[in-house]
Amino acid sequence: MQLQLEYFLLLAAALFCIGIYGLITSRNAVRVLMSIELLLNAVNLNLMGFSNFLDPDTIRGQVFTVFVITVAAAEAAVGLAIILAIYRNRETIDMEQFNLLKW
Amino acid sequence: MDFSSNIATQLNAGAILPEGIVVVTILLVLICDLIVGKSSARWLPYVAIAGLLASVAALWLKWDATESLAFLQGFNGDDLSIAFRGIVALSATVTILMSVRYVEQSGTSLAEFIAILLAATLGGMFLSGANDLVMIFVALETLSISSYLLTGYTKRDPRSNEAALKYLLIGAASSAIFLYGVSLLYGLSGGQTNLDAIATALANGDGGESLGLAIALVFAIAGISFKISAVPFHQWTPDVYEGSPTPVVAFLSVGSKAAGFALAIRLLVTAFGAVSEEWHFIFTALAILSMILGNVVALAQTSMKRMLAYSSIGQAGFVMIGFIAGTDAGYSSMIFYLLIYLFMNLGAFTCVILFSLQTGTDQISDYSGLYQKDPLLTLALSICLLSLGGIPPFAGFFGKIYLFWSGWQAGLYGLVLLGLVTSVVSIYYYIRVVKMMVVKEPQEMSETVENYPEVRWSLPGMRPLQVGIVVSLVATTLAGILSNPLFTFANNSVINSPVLQSAKLTQPIAKAGISETSDRPIVQ
Amino acid sequence: MLSVLLLVPIIGAAIVAFLPMGESKRLRQFTAIIATLVFAWIVYLLTQFDLSNSGFQFSEYLSWVQPIGLSYSLGVDGLSMPLLALNGLLTWIAIYSSRGDIERPRLYYSLILLVNAGVSGALMAQNLLLFVIFYELELIPFYLLIGIWGGKKRGYAATKFLLYTAVSGLLVLAAFLGLAFLSATPNFDYNSITTEGLGLTTQLVLLTLLLVGFGIKIPLVPLHTWMPDAYVESSPSTAILLGGVLAKLGTYGLVRFGLQLFPETWSLVAPGLAAIGTVSVVYGAMAAIAQKDIKRMVAYSSIGHMGYILVAAAAGTELSVLGAVAQMVSHGLILALLFYLVGIVEQKAGTRELDVLNGLMNPIRGLPLTSALLIMAGMGSAGIPGLVGFAAEFIVFQGSFTTFPIPVLVCIIASGLTAVYFVILLNRTCFGKLDNETAYYPKVLLTERIPAFVLTVTILFLGLQPNWMIRWIKPYTTSVAVNPTGLQIAQVETQK
Repeated sequence: MQLQLEYFLLLAAALFCIGIYGLITSRNAVRVLMSIELLLNAVNLNLMGFSNFLDPDTIRGQVFTVFVITVAAAEAAVGLAIILAIYRNRETIDMEQFNLLKW
Repeated sequence: MDFSSNIATQLNAGAILPEGIVVVTILLVLICDLIVGKSSARWLPYVAIAGLLASVAALWLKWDATESLAFLQGFNGDDLSIAFRGIVALSATVTILMSVRYVEQSGTSLAEFIAILLAATLGGMFLSGANDLVMIFVALETLSISSYLLTGYTKRDPRSNEAALKYLLIGAASSAIFLYGVSLLYGLSGGQTNLDAIATALANGDGGESLGLAIALVFAIAGISFKISAVPFHQWTPDVYEGSPTPVVAFLSVGSKAAGFALAIRLLVTAFGAVSEEWHFIFTALAILSMILGNVVALAQTSMKRMLAYSSIGQAGFVMIGFIAGTDAGYSSMIFYLLIYLFMNLGAFTCVILFSLQTGTDQISDYSGLYQKDPLLTLALSICLLSLGGIPPFAGFFGKIYLFWSGWQAGLYGLVLLGLVTSVVSIYYYIRVVKMMVVKEPQEMSETVENYPEVRWSLPGMRPLQVGIVVSLVATTLAGILSNPLFTFANNSVINSPVLQSAKLTQPIAKAGISETSDRPIVQ
Repeated sequence: MLSVLLLVPIIGAAIVAFLPMGESKRLRQFTAIIATLVFAWIVYLLTQFDLSNSGFQFSEYLSWVQPIGLSYSLGVDGLSMPLLALNGLLTWIAIYSSRGDIERPRLYYSLILLVNAGVSGALMAQNLLLFVIFYELELIPFYLLIGIWGGKKRGYAATKFLLYTAVSGLLVLAAFLGLAFLSATPNFDYNSITTEGLGLTTQLVLLTLLLVGFGIKIPLVPLHTWMPDAYVESSPSTAILLGGVLAKLGTYGLVRFGLQLFPETWSLVAPGLAAIGTVSVVYGAMAAIAQKDIKRMVAYSSIGHMGYILVAAAAGTELSVLGAVAQMVSHGLILALLFYLVGIVEQKAGTRELDVLNGLMNPIRGLPLTSALLIMAGMGSAGIPGLVGFAAEFIVFQGSFTTFPIPVLVCIIASGLTAVYFVILLNRTCFGKLDNETAYYPKVLLTERIPAFVLTVTILFLGLQPNWMIRWIKPYTTSVAVNPTGLQIAQVETQK
């Protein structure tokens, strides 16, 4: 039995929703960062799925995925660096505590 | 031999010469800093400025290049992109001018700051010309990640940390959402990443995928609106503007925003040409919300930086009028306004930096009575703010008139009237600052101003600041009166860009009024 | 030719603002010289003015910003020429009457010169956008003039002025944008713009925008609330410019852009305008009677006198338009004199309260000459024959009567009310017994009297020889009148 494209898309959409949920509810900054990684991975799944089913010759989607993974790593590195800096100053990474600037 | 020459023409690497110069400048700054050490901070900024100006000069040489597509159509160096790349590079130049003293006083390394800023500029410039989804994504992230770093650059300041964290989390989330939209677009077009190819594929495809296209559109617009900080995607703006180092704010409010508008034009007009009615509608809503909320909330601000943050949201709303108009005049009015906005907004930020360097505060009430102590600063800040408010004969008035004029031509009466009304509101809060500085009596002077030290231009890093103030003052005053060359430049950059011209012919345009008027020559 | 009127004051303002000129008095001398030069040039232009030509003269044209249809085109005709002269004269008076020891003199004098250039520019502009630029240009200088050198509540008054005037500019701009784009030729050149071919509703909407916009500036009655505060809180010289010159831009705009660009629709809205004008006249007179502060009284009297202009403009006959222009000039002169004298009284007596002041006529201890001139100004304002106010009002009434008999009758009665409050004013301040406590006011110096003398002589001369004012206006009015005989509107009304 062959897997349908829809399954990949549904899985990606589910992952995306989980990511969004985590983004909204997490209080810990690292968890927020992890949720963003989930979002990006949902995108990767999408791209890979499309690439396999629609564009198997030029595989642009797979190339795109490689770029996304690279950039996501850079983003996570910068994010963790900033969280580290803020932890040194404030001794907390609880999002609720970051209230020097009013939202 | 044949193969390599074929590849060479396809790559057309000359199109990214300006970006190449910026890359070389980044490397130069980093290596010089490594070899020479701390003493290099005296001349490194000038190296960076020279590099950026050389890049602008290279852009000038690329004007009207016969072959604009480069890198297998991944990058489009047409005149439209040149205009936006020029705006980004110029805003970085002025930002460096104003940051030398500021960064030095904050006790952090100047060379790294400049290198990161240049990287952000590079991202912005690539974004302005990107013609391929992968290219757009990489350029966007180069710009964003550098901006996160810049925002948190004063790493011992908890406010700066907090601003950086907020910016990073919201920014990363919005670019992930944007990317999800892009991945859908890739699938809907049947595996194309080139914008033109996507447009063709979508135009040829059947209408059954319109729901998917709508979702892709909404997600893409969310990402773009974050960059141009359009309401309701603006929540990060005031916090980030208040917390981060002021030169960074200046760059974010002009350079980053201009790149966002370039992305909006290219992505929406080309790839989403099939659903132009929908995105016109969404952007109309965004423009209305931005103009109202930005200008009204700015009334209540007590901090200068927050006030400028909300004002920049409102200004983005004005610029969107030109975008929604969708005519030649509309796009060129956007470019014209962004060019003018560059000088007046950066001028205002330079003045805010000078004031905070002198006094260490940026509360509006602390400006009271400044006229007595520092007439130059008062004059420059007043003129920049009045120009932002659209008071003639300063440049901002001409920019706004052009935006409104093109909007009116395109039949956007409601938007233009709203723009007029909100610009009256904006006059009120801009003039509040002018009133603080100029109208207050000597005895009403704030304590901060009482202790205002004499400005010593001879201190290291002050000279560039002075140059920044004077340049933006002169540009703001004269760019309106002598605006003909700028108008011609903005017009040509739109007319010579095949992307917009072809899009106009193929796409069904939302309002009946637009299609008649867009073909009418603007010049009488 | 006309650019001189812009360049000289602007360059003068730049010199005053940026070059070190020493003390306040020298600055005033220098500024006065600039103003004299400007005024002399206007007089020269008056002599060169071709009285047989009803169109624009001394025209200048420079293409400026083509993409938005903005060009630098200037020209004057019988409507703008007398107002230009008024502007030149009153600027000179305002500079001359400023106090020698004023604070921040450089900013002050450069702002006044900028105001002069702005008003001249607005009066000469032959391009709608150019007009808007000059019209809005007034905003900030006046805001600062009121806000810095005003009275106690100056901050409030200045902000109110700013908001109202900004809205006024916005409405005018919106109307012009609509006008330029909806009419057949989408540019802003005054001479090529017509409203022909526009639908009636569109015309009415645009005209309403213009009327409300200029109505704020004039100010007309429901839109006038900024005005008493602004006039009262500003210093006498600012008040002279504000009431004598700036308000004229409103009536000028009304005639130039309302009456001339919308000749068809004008007769439709004219009855309403006449009604509003009449209400302004009556309201101004009533409110002035109720005032206890002489400056506020003068301010309200101004509302009434601007109402006559509106009635005359609404009638739109040859004679009434002539009267409207004449009334603009006469009102500018008389209001300036009144504000100037009230300023002197306030400065010498230390109060503006009607209940406190009295007996100023006292030949030894009071201010005899000032009160004599005040009586003269009051008579002029009340329309006593022999002074310019009478001449202008008479033309207004005669010209408008055939079209709007009832409003004109009401106005004539209200001009009687003018006499009432001036009698109250003069009776309380000038006559009566001078209190011993407040005795011995400081003497009015000869230099302080000069502006008053100049204004009085002008008022008297133009009153005895109104032809000298009217000859410049006359050729213009023959070309503009929308209903030459005054019968047209009557016909429209009977048809309904």
